[in-house]
Amino acid sequence: MKTKRQTLQVLAAGLAATCVAGTAMASSHMDAPLITLDPAANTCDVYAFVSAGTNGEQYLTTALTVYPFEEPGIGPNAYNFDPNVLYQIHVSLGDDVAAGTPTFSYQFQFNTTYKDKKTILVSYLGVIQNVGDANQNLTQTYTVTKVDHRRGARPAITWLGSGMVPPNNQGIATPLYNQGNDGNNPAQDGVASAGQLDTYTSESITKLESGYVAFCGQRDDGFYGDINAVFDLLQLRNPGKDVQAGFNVHAIVLNIPLSELGGAHQIAGVYATTSRHSVRVLSTLPENQLSPDFDGPWVQVGRQGNPLFCEALVGIADKDRYNETSPSQDEALFKKYALTPELCQLLNAIVFQSNVAPESNRTDIAGIFIPDLIKVDLSTGPCRLAGGGTNDVADPDDAGFSRLGIFGGDVLTSTVQAGFGGGTVPGGWPNGRRFGDDVIDIAVTALSSDLRVSPPIIHGPYGDNVDTNDMAYNKVFPYESTPQNGRNHMHAP
Amino acid sequence: MKFLKPFLAVTVALGLTGCGHNSAPTHDSSGTDATPPQTKLAIAIDPLTLALLPQAGDSHTDKEIRRYQEMARKGGNRDIPVERLGWLFVAKARTSFDPGYYKQAAACGDVLEADSPGCSESLLLRGYVFENLHRFKEAEPLAREVVAQRGLSFDFGLLGDSLMEQGRLDEAVGAYQHMVDLRPDLQSYARISYIRWLKGQTEGAIQMMEAAVDASSQNDPDSAAWVSTRLALLEYQSGRQEEAHHAIEGALLIRPNYPPALLLSGRMLLAEDKAGEAVAALQAAAKANPLPEYQWVLAEGLRAADRESEAAAVEARLRVTGAVNDPRTFALYLATRGEDTATAVRLAEAEMQQRQDFFTQDALAWALTAAGRVQEALPHMRLALAGGTEDGRLFFHAAVIAHGAGQDGEYQKWFNRTASCVQTLLPSERKQFLELAKEFPPAAKPGGQTPPANDLTAANLDSSK
Repeated sequence: MKTKRQTLQVLAAGLAATCVAGTAMASSHMDAPLITLDPAANTCDVYAFVSAGTNGEQYLTTALTVYPFEEPGIGPNAYNFDPNVLYQIHVSLGDDVAAGTPTFSYQFQFNTTYKDKKTILVSYLGVIQNVGDANQNLTQTYTVTKVDHRRGARPAITWLGSGMVPPNNQGIATPLYNQGNDGNNPAQDGVASAGQLDTYTSESITKLESGYVAFCGQRDDGFYGDINAVFDLLQLRNPGKDVQAGFNVHAIVLNIPLSELGGAHQIAGVYATTSRHSVRVLSTLPENQLSPDFDGPWVQVGRQGNPLFCEALVGIADKDRYNETSPSQDEALFKKYALTPELCQLLNAIVFQSNVAPESNRTDIAGIFIPDLIKVDLSTGPCRLAGGGTNDVADPDDAGFSRLGIFGGDVLTSTVQAGFGGGTVPGGWPNGRRFGDDVIDIAVTALSSDLRVSPPIIHGPYGDNVDTNDMAYNKVFPYESTPQNGRNHMHAP
Repeated sequence: MKFLKPFLAVTVALGLTGCGHNSAPTHDSSGTDATPPQTKLAIAIDPLTLALLPQAGDSHTDKEIRRYQEMARKGGNRDIPVERLGWLFVAKARTSFDPGYYKQAAACGDVLEADSPGCSESLLLRGYVFENLHRFKEAEPLAREVVAQRGLSFDFGLLGDSLMEQGRLDEAVGAYQHMVDLRPDLQSYARISYIRWLKGQTEGAIQMMEAAVDASSQNDPDSAAWVSTRLALLEYQSGRQEEAHHAIEGALLIRPNYPPALLLSGRMLLAEDKAGEAVAALQAAAKANPLPEYQWVLAEGLRAADRESEAAAVEARLRVTGAVNDPRTFALYLATRGEDTATAVRLAEAEMQQRQDFFTQDALAWALTAAGRVQEALPHMRLALAGGTEDGRLFFHAAVIAHGAGQDGEYQKWFNRTASCVQTLLPSERKQFLELAKEFPPAAKPGGQTPPANDLTAANLDSSK
């Protein structure tokens, strides 16, 4: 058995070869070439897990993050949801899971307004005390609609409600995000109860129709990994450094009542897309009636399901195609990459120097990634959640939580599948994906192991020596941590 | 494409701007790419040798060029490094303003073509090189072939660009429609904005450029700064000074000292009679970009700031390099100054052999007018205005030519249109226009009484000194 470091070196080689942009990658922070040039539509990560409400109700919690490497110190104006982008979280049920087609799509569309356009103070006119108050100049609102595809070509569209995006965390202008409600302090860490959430986050959690709950706004990037060391001539460190530390993302989080999905006795598939409008090149409308002319069809420009699929498995030639296609085409277009992962060949050739990682017929890997939906067993009940670690008194991880999921003994019991025997299924990714799942370590371990046999042959676990996020997660909705403070950010802009 | 799409996307985005009116190839204003121009090759040399000539310089692009040259030398499958190298040379040509790098880019395309005749990678690379060398007629068949082969969004972008520059706007619209239908993004939105502007849909152009700005990325700061600058120009032309200043600030935030933004900023400051501030911006812009447009505006700024000797020195350099660096703009400059009008006509006519777009028609019309051939200029001017492009300089030229040709109705129309956006003219142009207005106010002008074209030309020449 080779060392953890050697394994990650091979992973790095594979990733380096796929990331021509040459900067860095996270789960999907720097994936296919073209989408990296469109950060507002560039999906970073998708999350999906079963959670519990305060009154015993259960949700499929879904989240989509965009804007990779959002530098808090660059100023408040640079990052906002793009009103010209359609953000969608798709949920597949029943036969749609295997087919890679959505049963329901939840559409988020944003609108930007200014209270005062004559000032240079784009985002803040003063200290913001409440979301949307007179000092929040740039204000984004959003609408949520549910598209029910079960009617085929004429889907039913239901308006679920609207909400408001809280301000980005700049510092003194947004003190209530930060420790002691002081804009000079770092952002407030994760909390264990809804009552402890900061004012802006709390005020932005929106109850929609039919029991849905939504949040859209800036958050800390909950993905973690030592990607800089990977790309720095593969010189890994111990301890590693969380390269995403100190960066924010923009997150869309949606709690979907299981009752809306037909109950818990099933497996759901979750993925997300971003789309932009095509337009007629030459307007046919008078110059004073332009807004309706921006009405071309939506064209998908970004897609994300499981972490790392496009980045670590799909070949260069197909990366952009992945972003422009539907999971229903994954079987035909991308299954070859999952059945015969190039990364396994590299592991064997360079690290193991023997056929340790099965190189072909990886039906286990294909089962995870094809179609590329995050499959979530809804029958398990709520999963264990990450907080700030086992030693965080105020916000501890749930008992039994492991960042490695099943490889760390964190399992759940399904009532709809046998799993690894007796209904045993992973407690985290690839059964759903939670905030705090160490997807790099889980992926490398899974690729190095053989999950096709019973009992599975497990090699590892391997890792990049980064085992936790730089900020504690919230154990309550919206789960993703408070956005980092732009005033005392850790990066040079 | 193999793996060059980010790089290509940048190139494609900038490709639109390199040949357009009021624009110039973007430049790496960081100064990190400011290596001396390469020696032009005087002898025939095989393409691979040309592509692998030693590369000096410490910029990121220089280092990348050396890295891929080394990969190409190692043997094995050289197509990927050679393709990458080709696009790096295109980028280097843009940032260094040394067209010699286009020869090396073309050499990379030739190597790809020799290895895999008719491959998409070769077609696209060579097509973009031709486009950047203003050989639009040669770019078009390559674009058509790569579109037929695979039809990716930027393939249609190349086709649309080559058609647009040749003045075939309706065909270009079709290509751009394919492009945006395949992938709505900064590249397609920016092109749509430009062609809308050409067709007189200025508000629609602004809308599209705003969408392009929203879709921009810090991973591609050159394109992000460019679309912000273009948005500023559109706002400025529409009389929305404040919005224009905001957009310029945005561009300069992305790319400090970005030459196109500094150039526009300087022009706006000149229009606001802030010559001192304008000169500082224009000097910085012209230092980074040797193209005639930059030198011409700098000379205007210096003259407005009563720094005549410095203006003359800038113009002396411009006269040496202008015909090579950008013959169309240099022809306009000469015609506006009333200098060497025969050369101006010759340059504009030569440009017409390559492209027949609105601005080349305008350049030829203006050069002919300066040469006293105003009746010959009139049909070219009408062609320049046929699309409905909202541009102060076009209107100004049209007013002068219509006046000289005795076309009172047209004179009235274009005079009024010029008056509505006179702030966008250079100081010397404004001065000429104001003198024209003073001498021949349309409303007071008796019907049919127009001065001889030569008189008008002479008046212009006098007032522009």
